[in-house]
Amino acid sequence: MPRLRRISVVKPNAQDFAEVAERHLDDVHAFLVYLTGDRSVAEDLTAETFARALERWRKFDPRRGSARTWLCQLARSTALDHFRSEERRRRREGRYTLGGTDAQDAAFGEGLSPELEAALSRLSAAEREVLALRIILDLDGDSAARVLGISTSACSTRLSRALQKLEQEVSAGVAA
Amino acid sequence: MSQLELVQELRANRPVVSTELRERVLALAPPPPPRRIEPNLRRLVPAVAFAGLAAAVGVATVVGVVNSSHGGSVTSAKTSAPVHGAALQKRERARPRVHANPTAGLYADKTLRAVAPSSSRLQQYDASLRVRVKDQAELSRRTQQALRFTRRLGGYVVSAKYSAPGTSGTSRLALRVPIQHVQAAIAAFSAYGTLVSQRITLKDLQQKVDALGIRIRRLRARIAAGEPEAQLERDKALLRALTRSRQATTQRAQLASVALTMAVAAKQKHAATPPGRFHRTLDDAGSVLVREFELLLYALLVAGPLLLLGGAGILASRSLRRRADQKLLERA
Repeated sequence: MPRLRRISVVKPNAQDFAEVAERHLDDVHAFLVYLTGDRSVAEDLTAETFARALERWRKFDPRRGSARTWLCQLARSTALDHFRSEERRRRREGRYTLGGTDAQDAAFGEGLSPELEAALSRLSAAEREVLALRIILDLDGDSAARVLGISTSACSTRLSRALQKLEQEVSAGVAA
Repeated sequence: MSQLELVQELRANRPVVSTELRERVLALAPPPPPRRIEPNLRRLVPAVAFAGLAAAVGVATVVGVVNSSHGGSVTSAKTSAPVHGAALQKRERARPRVHANPTAGLYADKTLRAVAPSSSRLQQYDASLRVRVKDQAELSRRTQQALRFTRRLGGYVVSAKYSAPGTSGTSRLALRVPIQHVQAAIAAFSAYGTLVSQRITLKDLQQKVDALGIRIRRLRARIAAGEPEAQLERDKALLRALTRSRQATTQRAQLASVALTMAVAAKQKHAATPPGRFHRTLDDAGSVLVREFELLLYALLVAGPLLLLGGAGILASRSLRRRADQKLLERA
């Protein structure tokens, strides 16, 4: 289906933002859940993401990409800031994460099987984010690559490896 | 479990936003309007570039118009600059041709006074002039005029060579002019056309004449005192020789040598009509634009490497940041 070109661009306003926020809240939240592996952190980061988005809403140019892609980029940036601050805090405190969070209820989805939940928690954030973008949010290759800041081919390669590793983790979990 | 089944299960069980989070996000208030206008670089950079280009063209146009309005008066001043020879020639024509004193009025212009001969010492005066005349008719006329003028001054023509092949021509005159009129002769010959070159040489002869005079007096005194016959004949012969030498030297000092060379000017191309004001404006504006472009190029050459280094640094830092983020996500 050919892309329709906008003849005129209307400057975004607060009313538009409210509609965009309503429309893409679930996507951003899901992305951050998979990225962080922690629901409570994901909720905080979701709120922070939309707060930043509201501040920068005037600068958003729909000609450069969809609002969903733009929000996911902001969400990723917010999450990276969180990870950096967490790493600095742990270095100050002299503790390093040993990998994996404590067992908690259904971090990634209510109806996921325990083996799949466990397998997802064993993936890295980098592997989960590409799964979230391509599978959960169903972004196309170009949009997902733009969010990740890599090429389309590199994004496809990451997705393939993440799915392969997930499959292996699930199989290992089932075997165990 | 296949990858397809994994994908289906993941899509079927998306995380759900809690009600509290939804209310929290939808309750976000828009920030207050910024106090200062935040520049949009995407629009600002092209606007500044366009404004700069318009300013450069505007300055060039103004300079071109201003210079073109001044250029006409400058050009007319240059073309009307008088040539000494031509001006004197006009003044000479305006005076009555017959004068009791052939040199009357020629010293009115002080700049035309050649090096004056000394009135108290004997000198050998040699002058060489090269004058350019406009055509062969003028060459012929001036040649005849120079010969007549020399005779009128009391001088004579040693040699005259005249040739006029095709449209060119040369006249070479070797003249002798009484020393007291040599300045007038040089002034008159200079006015025949455009004076191309002039050379005057003075050689003092007084010392030689004085020395000859002393020898002559001594010799006469010796002869008058009485000498043997053989010595007397030799002294008389020497006296005659010295006397002839002194006369010749004195005569040489009485007449100045003037070598006058006149040549027809080379055919000049038809003088181009001076450019109009519009063309002068375009020329001046173009010169200013070229100069501005040179300055811009110079600035780019100086700043270019720095900008390249800066750009490379920015790209490198972005790449490093991206790698660091990737490693962070892999550890998380």
